[in-house]
Amino acid sequence: MNGAAISVRGLSCTYPGAARPALADLDLELPHGALAVVMGASGAGKSTLARCLTRLVPCFTPADVTGDVRLVGASVANRHVGELAGTIGMVFQDFEAQLFSTDVTQEVVFGLEHTGVPPAEMPGRVARALAAVGLAGFEQRDPTTLSGGEKQRLAIAGLLALRPPIMVLDEPTTDLDPVGRAEVLRTLAALRGEGLTLVVIEHDVAAAVAADRVVFLREGRVIADGPAATLLGDAETCAAAGVRPPDVTRVFAALGLVDPPLELEAAAARLRAAGVVPRPPRFLPRGARVSAPLIALHGVGHRYPNGHEALVDVDLELRKGEFVALVGRNGSGKTTLAKHLNGLLQPTAGQVVLRGSRMAGRPLEEIAEDVGYVFQDPDHQLFASSVEDEVAFGPRNLGLAPAAVEARVAEALDAVGLHERAADPFVLDKGVRQRLAVAAVLALGPDVLVLDEPTTGLDYPEQRAMMELLRRLHADGHTIVVITHTPWVIAEYAQRVVLLADGRVRYDGTPRPFFEDDALLAAAAFRAPEATRLGRLLGCTPLSVEELVAWVPQRTSACP
Amino acid sequence: MPLTLYVPAPTALHRLHPVTKLAGLAAFIVAAFVVDRPLVLLPLSAAVAALLVSAGGLPNVRRLRLMFVLVFVFTLVVWTFFYGTVLVPTRAGFFYGLSTAMRLDTFLAAGILFLTITRIEEIAYALGRLGVPYTVGFMLTLAFRLVPVFFDAALAVLQAQRCRGLDVTRGGLLRRLRRYVPVIVPVLIGALRRADRMAMALELRGFNSGRPRTTWMRARAGGRDAVAGVLVGATAVVYVVLWASGTGRLAPLP
Repeated sequence: MNGAAISVRGLSCTYPGAARPALADLDLELPHGALAVVMGASGAGKSTLARCLTRLVPCFTPADVTGDVRLVGASVANRHVGELAGTIGMVFQDFEAQLFSTDVTQEVVFGLEHTGVPPAEMPGRVARALAAVGLAGFEQRDPTTLSGGEKQRLAIAGLLALRPPIMVLDEPTTDLDPVGRAEVLRTLAALRGEGLTLVVIEHDVAAAVAADRVVFLREGRVIADGPAATLLGDAETCAAAGVRPPDVTRVFAALGLVDPPLELEAAAARLRAAGVVPRPPRFLPRGARVSAPLIALHGVGHRYPNGHEALVDVDLELRKGEFVALVGRNGSGKTTLAKHLNGLLQPTAGQVVLRGSRMAGRPLEEIAEDVGYVFQDPDHQLFASSVEDEVAFGPRNLGLAPAAVEARVAEALDAVGLHERAADPFVLDKGVRQRLAVAAVLALGPDVLVLDEPTTGLDYPEQRAMMELLRRLHADGHTIVVITHTPWVIAEYAQRVVLLADGRVRYDGTPRPFFEDDALLAAAAFRAPEATRLGRLLGCTPLSVEELVAWVPQRTSACP
Repeated sequence: MPLTLYVPAPTALHRLHPVTKLAGLAAFIVAAFVVDRPLVLLPLSAAVAALLVSAGGLPNVRRLRLMFVLVFVFTLVVWTFFYGTVLVPTRAGFFYGLSTAMRLDTFLAAGILFLTITRIEEIAYALGRLGVPYTVGFMLTLAFRLVPVFFDAALAVLQAQRCRGLDVTRGGLLRRLRRYVPVIVPVLIGALRRADRMAMALELRGFNSGRPRTTWMRARAGGRDAVAGVLVGATAVVYVVLWASGTGRLAPLP
C-alpha cells in the first residue's frame, strides 16, 4: 500500500468555553505498520488527538474542529464514529467501561454483530482475535472474573475482530500492575507483527523505547517528533514535554556524554568504555530506625466471605516516622492489608493494635483521627462544591468548632500547596484533585497517612509533585504508607519496603537489598528502577540517578 | 462478590430456548397472579421451587433468603391485622395474607429461576425474537450488567467517606438521608463519567455503524422446548380456569 496510514494536516480543536485550543494546527503523518507513542503532560492534547482520529470528537464530544484527517487515504470529515469501526479501533484506560458481555466469546462477537458480519464468519474472527491477544482458551470465561491485564486485552480483541488497520490506545496500561502492563505491551508487539498501525498514548517511557516514532505534544502542538532514541535521549526535550526522561538519558547528561543508547546493556558498555566506574561509599546511609510502634499487626489473617484468603498470618509493626512502600502484584493483598491499618476491614484471625490498644470495635471515625486513608481514585471522595468545603467536611464530622475547622482547613490546604479555596473540585486537574483528596484526609489530623497508588493516572510533573508533598509531610513527622507499583517511587522515597505475595509478607526491609534480590523481584514480577539496574551492571546498587552520578569520581577534564 | 444470579450449569432447563424461558416466567407469574387460595397456590409454588432446585439455584435462594422471609412474614402479618379492619386479626385476613405472601414469594422464586438459567444476552435475544427493538433489549441487559459495577463504586465511596469521619448511622431519617449526600454525589458523577465512556466504547464497536445487524447466537427450539412450552402453557390455562370458575379464589370481603 502506498500513502500514509494516518495523515493529519492543520488539525485544530477547541472545546466550547475553553480559553485555548486543545489542538493547535497539528500535523502528523504515520506510515503503515508504524508503532507511534504519543507523550506529553496532561492537557497537552493527547486524548483529544486520539479522539479526533476516531471522530469521537466532534461526533460525541462537541468541539470546533478544523483541518484534514485522513485514515488509509480517506478523509474522515463528516463520517460517524460507528462507520469507522472497521477502519480504526480505540482502547481506553478504563477497561471496565469497554466490556458489555457475560462471556469472552460474546464480547468479541459484539462488534461483529453491529457491523453486519455474517454469522458464519464469526467463529474464525473470534478465534484469531483472541489468539492475537493471548486469550485463546478463555472463550467461556466471564469477563468480570478476568484480571485487569486480561480485561484490557479482551477489549483490544473486541476491536481487533473488526479488522481495523489502525488502532489507537489511550493509556492502556495506566491502571494495570506490572504483570498486566507487560502482558499488554507484549500484545502491542504482536499486533505490530501483524502489520497494524498503532498509536499509543503513554506516560511510561518503558513503553516508548520500542516505538518507531515518538511524538511529544505540548499545549496542543507537536514539539518533537522522531525516533525514540533521539527524543528520549534528550533530557531537555523530555523536560519541555513534561515527560520523565529515561534514567540512562539523565545519567549520560549528568556525565557530559552524548547519544545515550536506550538499551541498558549498551548504555553500561558505553559507560565502561568511557571509563566511568562508580565508587559507592563503604557505608551507605540507612533509614533511621526509630521509636515505638504505632500500629502492630499480630498474626493477622483475612478471609473474605467468598472464602478467598487475602491475608495469611501477617506480622508487621509500623513505627512512628517511617516511610513505607507496600508492594506486590494485584491480588497479593496490599489493599486488604492497608484497610486493616484504619479499621476499614477487621482481621478474621489475629489482631491489630493501634497505639497499644486493640483496634477491633473502635469506630472508624475515631480511628480516622489517627490513621488517614487516601483512596486511589480521588473522585471516590470529592463531592463538595468548593475546595474549602471539601476539606472542611472531615473536621466538621469531628464536631470541631468553626474556628478550629477553619484552622484545620488552612493548615491542610497549606500543606498540599492548594490556594484556590473557592474553586470547584470537579474542574481541577487530576493531580490537583489527588492533592485535594490528601488535604481532605490531612484535615482530620492523622499521624499516619495510608495512600493507595497516589501517583496512578498522573503525568510525570504531577507524580513528582505528589511524592514531594509526601516527603514534606514525612519530614513534618507523619508516618507514610504508600501502595505503589512504580519502581522509582519506592527507590527514591521509601525507607522500608514490604512485599506481599499471596497474602503473605515476602520481604520487609530497606529498598536497597530488595532491589538487589533478583529472585525476589522475579517472583513479584517487579523491576528495579532503570538507574538501579544500570548501576548493577556497573557493580553497585544506586537508588536514583543522582546517587549513581554522585558515586562516579570527578574525572579530570578531558584532554584538549 | 458476584451480583448476577446466572449459574452456569448444563441442566436441561439451561438448554431451553430463551423464548421458552421467558414464556415460562410469564406463565408462572400469570398463574400465581390470578388465584389466591393457598391450597391452590401450593402445587404451583412447589413446582417452581422444585425447578429452582433442579436448575442449581439453591445458592441464589440462600443469598436472598432474607428477602423471602421478610416478604412472607411482613405480608402475612399486615394482612392478618388490616384485612378490612384496623389492628384486629381476622381469619379471612390470615388466609388472604397467606395467599399474598405465597404469591409474592412465588414471583420472586420464578424470577430467580429465570435469572439462574438465562444469560443476559439470552434475555436480549428473546426480546428481539419477540419483536422488541434491539436497542431497548440491549439497554435493559446493560442495566443488569451495570448493577454490580455501581454497587462496587458505591461501596468504595462509602468507605472513603467513612474514613473522613462520615457516620451514617446517627440521627433521624431525614438527617441520615442528608448524610448520604457525600456518598450519592461521587457515585452519581462517577456513574455519569463511566456512562459517557461506555457510550464511546459502544460507538467504537460499531453500535451505530449504519450496517444491518447480524446475530451470532443461534438458539434452536427443539422437542425439549415443545414439552416445556406445553407444560407451562397448560399450567397457566389450568390456573386461569381455576380463577374463572371461582375455585381458585377466596371468598370476597362481605
